[in-house]
Amino acid sequence: MSRDQSLSGGRKYSNDEITVYWKPSACIHASYCYRELLEVFDPGRRPWVDMKGASTEKIIETVNMCPTEALTWKWNEEAKNQPVGSDQSNHIRFRRPELLAQDANAPEENPVTVKIMNDGPIVLKGDFSLAYSGINKDFREGIVSICRCGASEHQPFCDGHHRKIGFIG
Amino acid sequence: MEETKSGKSKTIIEVIDSGPLKITGNIVLKDFKRDKEIPMGEVLLCRCGKSSDKPFCDGSHKNK
Repeated sequence: MSRDQSLSGGRKYSNDEITVYWKPSACIHASYCYRELLEVFDPGRRPWVDMKGASTEKIIETVNMCPTEALTWKWNEEAKNQPVGSDQSNHIRFRRPELLAQDANAPEENPVTVKIMNDGPIVLKGDFSLAYSGINKDFREGIVSICRCGASEHQPFCDGHHRKIGFIG
Repeated sequence: MEETKSGKSKTIIEVIDSGPLKITGNIVLKDFKRDKEIPMGEVLLCRCGKSSDKPFCDGSHKNK
């Protein structure tokens, strides 16, 4: 069960087919989950994940968008699970075989991807150096989310405050 | 622009105190709301939420 150790402190939510794992400490507030599928992922609701809100297919699709290991999923039927490459061995993300093939063929990311999330942060992904408050840090295949609304209490990083202030931008 | 050991140019991202995010180097910009061209040279992205030219900085952070 060593694979499940990364779940400590997290929660899990199941339907008949899959279990979604939620690891809040890994969340960078990229916010794909609730923008794509509010019926299932609603940060304003408790519990915030409702597995009855959409089809398994749709839930998988949305969880796979999560850029970190904050949201991952597994088939309940263990035999159907196929782990991704060893480079992500500490992740518990399982993907369908057709998605695995896509990953293998994907060209190596050279330029840094800069995503401007709707009403949310800037999400930086790739190899880059980041300088802030006198600190200079090198990232290899890194992922960082930078506040765009001005309200984060963990500047320069996003802490999810854009939702609380109703940031539009 | 710095050169890394592999000879590839390195992307430098700088958080300017009380100012924008400055990016120098090779990037792919994806704005989910707007269709924006990446300007030549350095890119300055708004961090204060007040710019009228989002996602770019327009200097609005200076107006209190």
